[in-house]
Amino acid sequence: MRPMRTSALLFTGLLVLVTGCQPSAAPDDLLSTIQANGVIRVATDPAYPPQSELLPDGTYQGFDIDVAERIAEELGVTVEYITPDFSEVVAGGWAGRWDISVGSVTVTAEREGVLDFTPAYYYTPAQMAATTASGITTLDGLAGMTICVGEQTTYQFWLEGTLELVGSPEPAAVPEGAQLTTFSTDTECADAIASGRTDFEGWLTSSTTLANAIANDAAFVSVGDPVFYEALAVATDKAGPAHAGLQAELDRIIAEMHSDGSLTALSEQWFDGLDLTTVE
Amino acid sequence: MIEAVGTRPALFEQIERAEAASRRWFRAKFALVWVVIMAALFAAFASTDNLDADFVAEWAPYILGGAGITVLVSVLSIALATVLALVGALGRISRRSIPYGIASFYVSLVRGTPLLVQIYIIFFSLPQISPLLILPAIAGGVLALGFNYGAYMTEIFRAGIQAVPRGQTEAARALGMPENLIFRRIVLPQAIRIVTPAIGNDFISMIKDSALVSTIGVQEVLWRAENAGRPTLHTLEAFIIAGLVYWGLTIVFSFVQERLEKRMARGDR
Repeated sequence: MRPMRTSALLFTGLLVLVTGCQPSAAPDDLLSTIQANGVIRVATDPAYPPQSELLPDGTYQGFDIDVAERIAEELGVTVEYITPDFSEVVAGGWAGRWDISVGSVTVTAEREGVLDFTPAYYYTPAQMAATTASGITTLDGLAGMTICVGEQTTYQFWLEGTLELVGSPEPAAVPEGAQLTTFSTDTECADAIASGRTDFEGWLTSSTTLANAIANDAAFVSVGDPVFYEALAVATDKAGPAHAGLQAELDRIIAEMHSDGSLTALSEQWFDGLDLTTVE
Repeated sequence: MIEAVGTRPALFEQIERAEAASRRWFRAKFALVWVVIMAALFAAFASTDNLDADFVAEWAPYILGGAGITVLVSVLSIALATVLALVGALGRISRRSIPYGIASFYVSLVRGTPLLVQIYIIFFSLPQISPLLILPAIAGGVLALGFNYGAYMTEIFRAGIQAVPRGQTEAARALGMPENLIFRRIVLPQAIRIVTPAIGNDFISMIKDSALVSTIGVQEVLWRAENAGRPTLHTLEAFIIAGLVYWGLTIVFSFVQERLEKRMARGDR
């Protein structure tokens, strides 16, 4: 019994190894692994509606989710969502825990050091907001004030003066002497004000996140024009398994979604009729 | 004498009735205290005007569903911790320097660093040493919690083993039992009975500490509460629901532990 079971186990293991290594595109490319498994593991942070949000049954919906589903469809696989913090995604070094990020990651010079990006699939305006309690209505009014941002976001880098955008227009100037305070996710800023905290006056986030928060009665007003537009792209891990084949496929799919109008349609569906797939 | 036989039971009855009445009065006041505190807390939260019944109805089942993951993670972690603690305790009572050194290092390292730091190191730092150390979120969380609790339980197990009366070992030795068998048949079963209440306590605090693995994306109760509440600014309700789920779990498992302890104590009677 024992030896038989052991050899059966060994044989199954071998079979898994052999079928797992079955080359379809280029051998050893992440693309062939994904297609062999029939599953692409996509990182998403469901704290960012309307890009990605959780439903009470534990599934996800949003703009990013629809884009991820289309990518999977094109690759002939299904999606498994992994939910690390946003700061873990942009840090790179995913250790193979997920394959790609369709998580509205802004392309920056620094991130290009650890992540490989597709061309942008859409652009979001970075919008400054002020708490209604502060009475501030202009960007300059935030000089010397404290501004809340999500950790490791482009909003934090802009305030710190280290933001180097790639493929986006030049950002506006930072309000004189502005201080910053951070939470692990953007929406916690709105949450802090909703819970009666008063540690900061400003909040810098994407215009879509801000609009969603205001729609949920967050006590903020939008202040001034967008301070910058950021190009958002699908990302893969530079330090991960070889993925030139997957990268080429992702680039092709994003280009196709731009040209067949499906990205515009999704943008208008999720962002109140706004077409964010081009910079105006 | 005849009179005394007739009056004493009446007096006893009177005393018993008085005692029963006082017990009932105590219970009633006890229940009242709980009801008043709960009502006051509820009123305080309701006064914020932020308690949204629709949100609770919509999301409570999803957050409650995380209890399964919380219990799963806690059970696996306590199992791992028990194994590590047993090995660790053997090292700590060993007279040989190498096992004693390894066990002492383990206990010192784990008890000297925060659990959250251990979770981060196991999940984020170990994979950089070798790709073989890449663990999925649940496995990483279980490893971190088990590794941590194992060190605390090592000391409990050591104390439990040492609490078995020396006469037991001596008697077994006098009967010619080999040392390994003495440990397995005589010392260990009695030590297990001594440490069971402590394992139960640790399991209950494990349920609460398991909330820390939400930081690495394990979709247990706290992760679900955070992600359900944050996007729509309903964290007040979400965290209250999460708190109630943990509270409910610890009450249930405290009850189970009480039963288990009574069972294990049967041999002492």
